[in-house]
Amino acid sequence: MNQEPMQLPLPGFENARATWQRDYSKHIADDHAIRNRSGIQVNALYTPHDWDSERYMDDLGFPGQLPMTRGIYTTMHRGRPWSQRQLIGLGTPEDYNRRLKSIFKAGASAISLIPCNSVYRGYDMDEVDPLLLGTCGTIVNSVEDMDIFLRDIPIDQISAAQNDPLPFTLLAFVLAVAKRRGIPWEKVTGTSNQSDYISHFVANHMFFRIALPGSRRVLTDHIEFTNKHVPGWNPVSVVGQHMQQAGATPAEAMAFTLCTALQYAEDCMARGMAPDTFLPRFTFFFDISVSFFEEIAKLRAGRRVWSRVTRQRLAAKDPRSWRFKFHAQTSGVDLTRQQPLNNIARVTLQAMAGLFGGLQSLHTDAFDEVFSTPTEEAARVAVSTQNILRHEAHLADVIDPLGGSYYVETLTNEMEQQVETTMAKIDDAGGMYKAVESGLVQTMIGESALAFQRQVDSGEQKIIGVNAYQVEETPSHHAPLKRPDPAVTATQLSRFKAFKQSRNQARIRAALDTLASAANSENENIFARVVEAADVGVTHGEIVACLRREMGVGQPLVVA
Amino acid sequence: MESTSNRSQRPPKILITKIGLDGHDRGSRVIATQLRDAGMEVVYTGPWQEILAVVKLALEEDVDVIGISALATDHLLVPKLMDALRSADLAHVRVVVGGIVPPEDESALLMAGVSKVFHPGSSRDEIVSDMNRLASEARSR
Amino acid sequence: MSTGSNSEATTDLTARLLRGEPAALARAITEVENETTEMSAILRATQPRLGKATIVGFTGAPGAGKSTLISAYIKVLRARDKTVGVVTVDPSSPFSRGAILGDRIRMAEHTTDLGVFVRSVAARGHLGGISRTTARIVDIFDAVGKDVVIVETVGAGQSEVAVAEIADIKVVVCAPGLGDDVQAIKAGLLEIADILVVNKHDLPSADTTIRSLKAMLDLRNNNRDAVQVLATVATTGVGVNELAETIESKCTMHRPTRSPRTRIRRVLAGIAGQIVETHLQDTDDSAIDAVCDAVQRGDLSFESAAQRLLAERLGR
Repeated sequence: MNQEPMQLPLPGFENARATWQRDYSKHIADDHAIRNRSGIQVNALYTPHDWDSERYMDDLGFPGQLPMTRGIYTTMHRGRPWSQRQLIGLGTPEDYNRRLKSIFKAGASAISLIPCNSVYRGYDMDEVDPLLLGTCGTIVNSVEDMDIFLRDIPIDQISAAQNDPLPFTLLAFVLAVAKRRGIPWEKVTGTSNQSDYISHFVANHMFFRIALPGSRRVLTDHIEFTNKHVPGWNPVSVVGQHMQQAGATPAEAMAFTLCTALQYAEDCMARGMAPDTFLPRFTFFFDISVSFFEEIAKLRAGRRVWSRVTRQRLAAKDPRSWRFKFHAQTSGVDLTRQQPLNNIARVTLQAMAGLFGGLQSLHTDAFDEVFSTPTEEAARVAVSTQNILRHEAHLADVIDPLGGSYYVETLTNEMEQQVETTMAKIDDAGGMYKAVESGLVQTMIGESALAFQRQVDSGEQKIIGVNAYQVEETPSHHAPLKRPDPAVTATQLSRFKAFKQSRNQARIRAALDTLASAANSENENIFARVVEAADVGVTHGEIVACLRREMGVGQPLVVA
Repeated sequence: MESTSNRSQRPPKILITKIGLDGHDRGSRVIATQLRDAGMEVVYTGPWQEILAVVKLALEEDVDVIGISALATDHLLVPKLMDALRSADLAHVRVVVGGIVPPEDESALLMAGVSKVFHPGSSRDEIVSDMNRLASEARSR
Repeated sequence: MSTGSNSEATTDLTARLLRGEPAALARAITEVENETTEMSAILRATQPRLGKATIVGFTGAPGAGKSTLISAYIKVLRARDKTVGVVTVDPSSPFSRGAILGDRIRMAEHTTDLGVFVRSVAARGHLGGISRTTARIVDIFDAVGKDVVIVETVGAGQSEVAVAEIADIKVVVCAPGLGDDVQAIKAGLLEIADILVVNKHDLPSADTTIRSLKAMLDLRNNNRDAVQVLATVATTGVGVNELAETIESKCTMHRPTRSPRTRIRRVLAGIAGQIVETHLQDTDDSAIDAVCDAVQRGDLSFESAAQRLLAERLGR
């Protein structure tokens, strides 16, 4: 931390250091600068000169205490291991329900729902090319589908993580099913993953549905509604993962994520909501690259910045508002098609970085994801990797085990500075919403993506099997692909069409009219109308189409 | 200033686009920039193009090569694109696919007339030289 | 300059072009854009059919929303059953000479409409906001009967006044809050504008921008009606109908002054300029070298040297 070199009260330190420096230069005459992905120069050695324990209380403190560097909870993984949250998403709602029941029987209490890309794009199954249906996830288009999906599953005893971009039709279906079963909404818990429209707009257009101003309003409505009616629900997961996957450096991804969260919080406060009513329900989602120490430092720095900005900029008083709760996923971008088993090593390193970074839940990628949707075997290896790290390597035994490392603490401080520099740029541009509207963030991400690719092309960044240590490979042995049986998809499609026919069309029209008028009125909560529409049988595609018509189609702002 | 001889050696014209449902565009952006840096003129679109739109685009822009970036399962639609190009009398236009394509699907794509499938980790030099070759093939049909 | 090979293939291409086949139109544009040997036959065939289309140029600073505004304008034109040709120009990299042509991204509404034909071209080092052959591409659209031909300039913030030579109506687009919007207008664009559009009128500072533009016009122009200032929100279509009306009425006013001769002169000037340029730059001619040496010694001014070369070397 930019401190003046000082005389350390360690007998012999300065002499030994000078000797080492001399010998080092003798051995490495031409020591070239090494920089990490965020552009921070990495030295050969770190000592108390760079960081020393006099800064302990300022920089670290204790787990669960400010500045939260060592973790957001007192006991961290020692008290409660991280959640293993593997995404599953193939098959019909019936298949999915069978799978859920089996993992539920095995003791799991958290489920995740990954819908088909057609759902992400805001379409019902009768609106897209049948060739693509169900190839990437489950098709859930209506309250009927959700009812099948959750058959015999006690909704009040599970936590559901749903990839459910705005206007949050999947949560609306869950709430409708809960209502039918007489389960109070207060008992419904889980997270709206993919609620972060800003990250969709700049980095992952898969989920982007409604034009930017409309998206802004629907998300704020959603936070307000769940805050009031579904208090156990996390309405927001801010996704740094998209930014980093799209090419942002780890420091940039952290900065963009924090700025996005601040933007959402300020939008809520502009509605008159008090920060401590919604901030404890904010969650985050990060990508972990294979740049090991950099990722650890990124996550520790992010925790520190969030605990500060929530207090200083948002005036949050409740310690729960300062906690930087995050899920992390190992980065698919680092995986290679060449020598695919090497990916197991990469995923292991990424997972370790995430654990040392103090994550709350973890998804480990399957080594064969570069070929297609993971096979059973590869998915099992991914889960085992987490179990090995926990039970055999004992990585959950000690809280923040790298805390106090001269390198890790220095790097955490430097990453924090880097994050703050980028955050200042976004602030100067008028905040995250304006910065994406003007294309600034997209341009920054595009430049970083290109810079990294150039390093790979030049060989400066080696990737084993790709630009270094290549081997002649016979086309990889690879388990046969599982694609949905067209007959099964066709059955589901005809059932869906029959469901649409069977509905009370007048009620459907009325619900859609109410939704449309809510979209055009400042004083109504759009998400409340979405929930009502879902309850009377309006489909996912109909709801999204209505809002697109009223609020504008979400076109990604692509900056070439 | 360009000389007369250079004028006849016009740069390859490439369309980089995405069909289907996926929206990840890091790959297509990086490729578009690399092709530009290799001297090509690259028409670039956002994701989710309809097949008919890609055909209309390829026709109006008179492109030599179409590069489809596919990360989810959108490459399954490419054979339909090939048919549509043939019916629009654009059989000379070369088509390449880049992204995550399982081996079984790769052979199906090649059978359908796709010139080449690029996988993650394909080098810039390989892509540039293939694109140059395919562009001159398309022109000398 | 080649005399043009009037081969069977070219005859076939021009015939199909004049029948209005989209593929032939695309190919003809390629020939003209790249100044191939087929070009003169195409120009000859299209020459008698020129002068029917309304040609509208859109220019302005980057980020002003030109492409989005054009897309909204096209929507209005299509609702009135007008056919549209669009030439959009993007910059070429000065290092690789390659280009990314991305303006179509924001015209996504018209991706399958056969009444709209969009062609993206690279500026290829040409200054002024358009490529050297843009005018001829516009002519081809005109010749095949497009009702309206739109030219979108590079939009790199440079002084993009070359579009004035091509377009009947010049629309200069700016957006509030860009900071340099008024600066960009000052850089020569104000002189060529028939219509000034303040796009993104939903932004808070839009009215300030409109006021300062009007003030600038008052200072420079005695005839206040000459340039109209309009406000639009291209993303929602607000004000775009009015823009279309204004373009049409301005065009009706300008029509009588437009004679085919003006256009032919313009084309001739372009082609003649090219012949001169090619000849002076590429021909191995000791007499030209001698004139260059005279300029270097200071015996001849650039001006008189050019006059002499025109008279002596090119007058044959």
